[in-house]
Amino acid sequence: MGICYQGKTLAEVVDQRDTSFKESGYAYGLKELSLLDEDPAKFMRFQMRLVASCINARETAKLISANPMSIIQGELLFMLANAEGDVISTSYGLAGHIQCMPYIIKSIAELNFEDDPGINPGDIFSVNDALYGPAHNADCYTFLPIYHENELVGWTVGLNHIVDVGGIQPGGLGTISPSVFTDGFTYPPTKTGHNFKQEKWWDLHWKRRTRTEMFNVLDDKMRAAGIVSLHHMIQEVIEEFGVDYYRQAMKEIIERERRLMINRLKTMAVPGHYNWLQFKSVDYKDNLGRLWPASNRNWILHKPAELTVRTDGTLFTDMEGLTSEGEFHCNAYPSAVRMLTSLGIWPMFAYTETLNTALQYMTDWNLPPGSMFNPQNPWAATVMGLAEVGAVAYHYLRCLSYAYFSRGFLEETYPQDGAGCGYGVQGMLGDGFQWAGGDMALITCWGQGGKAFADGFEAAWCGPNPEPDQGEVELSEFLQPTQLNIGRNMITDFCGHGKYRSGLEIGMMQMINQPGQALIIATFSGTSGMGGAALGMCGGYPRSNDVIIYAHDTNIREVIDQGGHYPRDFVEMRQMIDDGTLKVGNMELFNCPTPSIPCGDGDLFASTSGSMGGWGDALERDYGLIEKDVKYGWISPECAKTVYGTVTDDSGKVDSQASDALREQMRNRRKERSVDAKEWWKQERQVVIDKKWHEDMHAMFVDNCKYEKFRNEFMGMWQLPEEYTF
Amino acid sequence: MERDDRFSKDNLKRLVEGTLHWEEVKKAIRLSPKDSDRFWKYLEVLQERVPWNDKILLRISDHLYIVAKEGGGRVTKCDCGHEFGDYRINWKLGCQVYVRKTNEEIGEVVTIPEARHNTELVQMREFYCPGCYALLGVEVVPAGYPPVFEMLPDLDSFYGEWLGQPLPDESPDWFQDKTLEKPAEWVRG
Repeated sequence: MGICYQGKTLAEVVDQRDTSFKESGYAYGLKELSLLDEDPAKFMRFQMRLVASCINARETAKLISANPMSIIQGELLFMLANAEGDVISTSYGLAGHIQCMPYIIKSIAELNFEDDPGINPGDIFSVNDALYGPAHNADCYTFLPIYHENELVGWTVGLNHIVDVGGIQPGGLGTISPSVFTDGFTYPPTKTGHNFKQEKWWDLHWKRRTRTEMFNVLDDKMRAAGIVSLHHMIQEVIEEFGVDYYRQAMKEIIERERRLMINRLKTMAVPGHYNWLQFKSVDYKDNLGRLWPASNRNWILHKPAELTVRTDGTLFTDMEGLTSEGEFHCNAYPSAVRMLTSLGIWPMFAYTETLNTALQYMTDWNLPPGSMFNPQNPWAATVMGLAEVGAVAYHYLRCLSYAYFSRGFLEETYPQDGAGCGYGVQGMLGDGFQWAGGDMALITCWGQGGKAFADGFEAAWCGPNPEPDQGEVELSEFLQPTQLNIGRNMITDFCGHGKYRSGLEIGMMQMINQPGQALIIATFSGTSGMGGAALGMCGGYPRSNDVIIYAHDTNIREVIDQGGHYPRDFVEMRQMIDDGTLKVGNMELFNCPTPSIPCGDGDLFASTSGSMGGWGDALERDYGLIEKDVKYGWISPECAKTVYGTVTDDSGKVDSQASDALREQMRNRRKERSVDAKEWWKQERQVVIDKKWHEDMHAMFVDNCKYEKFRNEFMGMWQLPEEYTF
Repeated sequence: MERDDRFSKDNLKRLVEGTLHWEEVKKAIRLSPKDSDRFWKYLEVLQERVPWNDKILLRISDHLYIVAKEGGGRVTKCDCGHEFGDYRINWKLGCQVYVRKTNEEIGEVVTIPEARHNTELVQMREFYCPGCYALLGVEVVPAGYPPVFEMLPDLDSFYGEWLGQPLPDESPDWFQDKTLEKPAEWVRG
C-alpha cells in the first residue's frame, strides 16, 4: 500500500505523470480543465491562496536568517509542490529553483524513501547534492510532506543559497574543484527531522563542515520554520476547498499555464532555428600541480545552443558540440540546466499567474551524455557549474528577442547576457576569531543590454535574481567588517556600444580594513577574457569582460588621512595611479575567476561586471541621444567621436555637419579595410588547415569535433578533406 | 483581417524608429492579449520605409529582410537594396568582413582597456553590407570558428500554420540550411 492517492506508491504516481504526458501531450493527460471551466473565479481564488501562503511563509521565515543573500538579495524561495513533485506555486525569490523539485522528488521515489527511511507526517528532508536534483551545493533544499489523512498530497519546500559550503575556496561559489570531494559539504537526500523539527545532530554538520556555522544553522532553521508554517497554511486551504478539489486543481494549474505559455509564443514569435554561442576558459594549468593531474590543464568551454521554436509552440534547445565533462568545477546536471535556464524564460513569456513547473512540459533539451551538462561521472564537481549553465539561460533572451523582433513585437525584445562578479572571503581577525563570508553585490545590479527600440537602463537589472538591487552595504559591512566599501560608481564609456547602447556598468571599490591575522578573497566572474557573449545583436557590440583588481600595499590610508579623494572604481584608481596620488606596490588584474588572494590592511579590491551588449550599428546612433550621453557624463566626447562618429563639445553639443562627414569617413574606412567574404574565407581556411591557433583552442576543436553535428559544420564550412585530423 | 488599433500603426512606426515615448512602450508591453494584426501592420510600416518594391516576407535584423522576388525565389536583402542571395545561406557569407585581431583594433570599440578581450584566444569579426557598409553583425570567436548562422525562420509554417495565410510557393525545402553550399562553390574556384 503506497502513500499516494488510491494507495499508489510515490514511484507509481511519478511514473504515471510522465507516461500520461508522453501519451497525450497534455500535463497529467488533462484534455479538459473542468474545475477552471466550471468556476474560474473559485479557481483563481484557490490559486491566489497558494501564492499568498508561499509569500507569507517566506516573508516571515526570512527574519530568522542572518544571511544577507537571503535577507536582502532574494535568493530565498518557499514553494508548494504536489505529490509528484511539480511546483504549483511559489513565493518571491530566485524562482528558477522550482525547476529542481520534480528531479528531487523523482530521486527519492527511485531511492524508495517511502519504505526506508519512510515518509511520514512531520518528517523533514534535506538535500543539496546536485546528483539528486539541486543545482549545486550552495542551494540547500529542505522539504516536508503534506498529508491529508493517510494520503501524501504535496510537499512544502524551502530553498536558499548559503554563504559558505566548506569547499577548497571560501564562499558558496568556488571556482576551483576537481571533483565532488572538493566541492565542500554535499549531502544526498537525508531525513534530518521529525515531528516538524530538525534533529539536533544536523546542526553539528553545519558547524563542522562549513566555515559559516552561524549563517548556515540559522538558514537551516529558517527553511524549516518556513516549510512548517507553509504546511499549516496549506492544510487550511485543503480544509476550505476539499482535498479532491485541491488535488485536481493543482494539476489543472500546470496544464492551464502550459497552454498559456505556448499561446504566448505563438502570438509573439516566429518558428525557426536561432543560434546562441559563448566561450569561456578554465585556467587550472600550473595551479593545481601534481595533486590533481587530470585537472592540471586548461579548457576552453564551448557552449553552442540552437533554439528551435517549433511549429506546435514548444521550444527545443540543442547543445550538441558542448564541451565534455571534466575534472573542473563547471559540470552541471540536467536539473541544474532546467533551473538556471528558466531564468531566461520568465521575462520572455513565462510571466504567468504563479511561477510553476509547467515549463517542463513545453521545453526540451538535447544535453549530450558525457558533456559538461550531462556528466556520467557521479563524482563530477558541480560547485560552480551554475555559472556556465547560467550563461546559457540567455540564449532564450537573445534568440526570442530576434523572434519577437521579426514578428513586430519590438517592445518585448530583451537581449541580455549572463554576468556577475561576487566573492567569498575567509579570515582570522587579530584576536584569533575565524570567520568567513561572501557577497554577490554585483550580481544583482547590471546595466541592461540595448534593445531593438531603446538603450538599456543603467544598473537596473539582474538575470538570476528578481531583486535587482545591490543589497545593503551597511549590513554587508556589519557581517564582513574587513570589506569597507569606499565607492560605487557608474563608469563612463563602460557599455556595449550600438545604435542603442547598454546601460553603464557599476564599479565597486573596497578597502581592506584591519583584517587581523589573515584574509583571503576569491572572486568569481562570468567571463575569462573572451567576453560574455560571442554574438552581438544586429551589429551591436557584444558583452565585454568582467574586471577584478587587487591592489596591494597602497597608500590609501595616507590619501584618506590627508583628506584627498579616494577612488570609486577601477578606472578612477588607474587615473590616480597615473597622476601619482595613489601608490600601489603590486596590482593583479583578472577578467576571470580568481584564485584565493591574500589581502592586507589598506589593499584595494575593485570589481565590475562587464558591460552588456549594444543593439545595432553604432554609426546610426541618434545625435540627440549622444548629446545626452555626453552632457550627463555617460559617454566621453572622445568615445562619442571614435565609436559613434559624432563630434561634440564638452557639454555634449553635437556638430551635425562635422559628424555627418566623420561618419562618412568611418564608413569609407570600413570599406577600405574589409575584404569580401570569399577572400576572408580563404584566409581563415588556411588558418584551419595550418592549425594556427592557441593550444587550448586546438584542444577545444578536438573535443567539439567528437560530435557529428559540429564536425559536419566545421568540415563543411572549411571544405576540409576527410583525412583532415587534429 | 480586422484592424486592431489598441496599438496603432503610427505608434508601431515610432517604435520601429526608436521615438515612441517610454510611457507608450510600457502600454504596449502591458497589452494583453497583444494586438492581433501586429505582424501585418509591421509589414506595412517596413515596406513604406524601404526604397524598393520586393515584397517583404520577414525582417531578420535592423537592415535585413527576407523578400519574395517577382520571378520566384526568396532572398535576403538589405534596406539599401543590396541582395545577399538565397535566405537559406548564412548572409554573413555575402558580406564584407573585417577582423579585429589586436588589442589596439579591439580597443577602438571596447573603450575600457581593462575589459578588452584576450587576443590570443579570440578575434572580433565585423560583417558589413557591401552596398551601404552598415555593420550587420559582430562575432567574438576563436580563429577558425565557423561563422554563426544566427537565424533561419520556418517561413512556411509561420505563414501557413500560425498566420493562416500560406505563401504561394510553399515547400518543405524552404526550411533547410543551405549555407555549406557556398564554401563548396568557393572551393571549386
